[in-house]
Amino acid sequence: MNLKTAYSGEVEIDTAEILKFEHGIPGFESEKEFVILPIEDNEEFTVLQSVQTEALAFIVTNPYNITVNYNIELDEATVHALQIKEQKEVAVFSIVSLKETIAESTINLKAPIIQNTSNNKAKQVILNNEDYSIRHLISSESQKG
Amino acid sequence: MLVLSRKAGETIWIGEDIEIIISEVKGEQVKIGISAPRSIDVIRGELRQDVSTSNTEAVLKNIDIFKSKK
Repeated sequence: MNLKTAYSGEVEIDTAEILKFEHGIPGFESEKEFVILPIEDNEEFTVLQSVQTEALAFIVTNPYNITVNYNIELDEATVHALQIKEQKEVAVFSIVSLKETIAESTINLKAPIIQNTSNNKAKQVILNNEDYSIRHLISSESQKG
Repeated sequence: MLVLSRKAGETIWIGEDIEIIISEVKGEQVKIGISAPRSIDVIRGELRQDVSTSNTEAVLKNIDIFKSKK
């Protein structure tokens, strides 16, 4: 199908690639379908584009590339909701809140998006882990590395 | 919204498998016990609200930042 996107014009997407968020995400509960689109000349960040709302898109990235020792434990509610059977089915990405520069931007480590790659069911999971912040400064990591 | 008055020690059942118990009432604070199947998310309201606010802030406004890196 063809999809009108916020920043990539009209693109053709395979409906099999659509991520299904049964309850949307907090703040956007009616947005049940998103697709992941590449950003030209950028490997690290991708766009999470709403299927329903052309203007709605987020930047997402792999949190394991941003922060060392990122460990999450999926609770039974998530495993159940996404029908996860094996760990290798699971993909994790985090929403980035862009500022003037990437270094000043923040990444939501507290509420990652969990995807079951076998059925493309996805959910933004709010972790109980106190170590992770909703607005984790990206530069706080790059200085370490 | 259904609003019920309860005293400490009293309970409320939601469906067949969720039990809420008012465990303690002390001044402005109420301690609530929740017994629910592990397949049900139980999240503090302000935390969910904070994630919701953060998502709203993160809505992409432009992708110039990636273009200027070229």
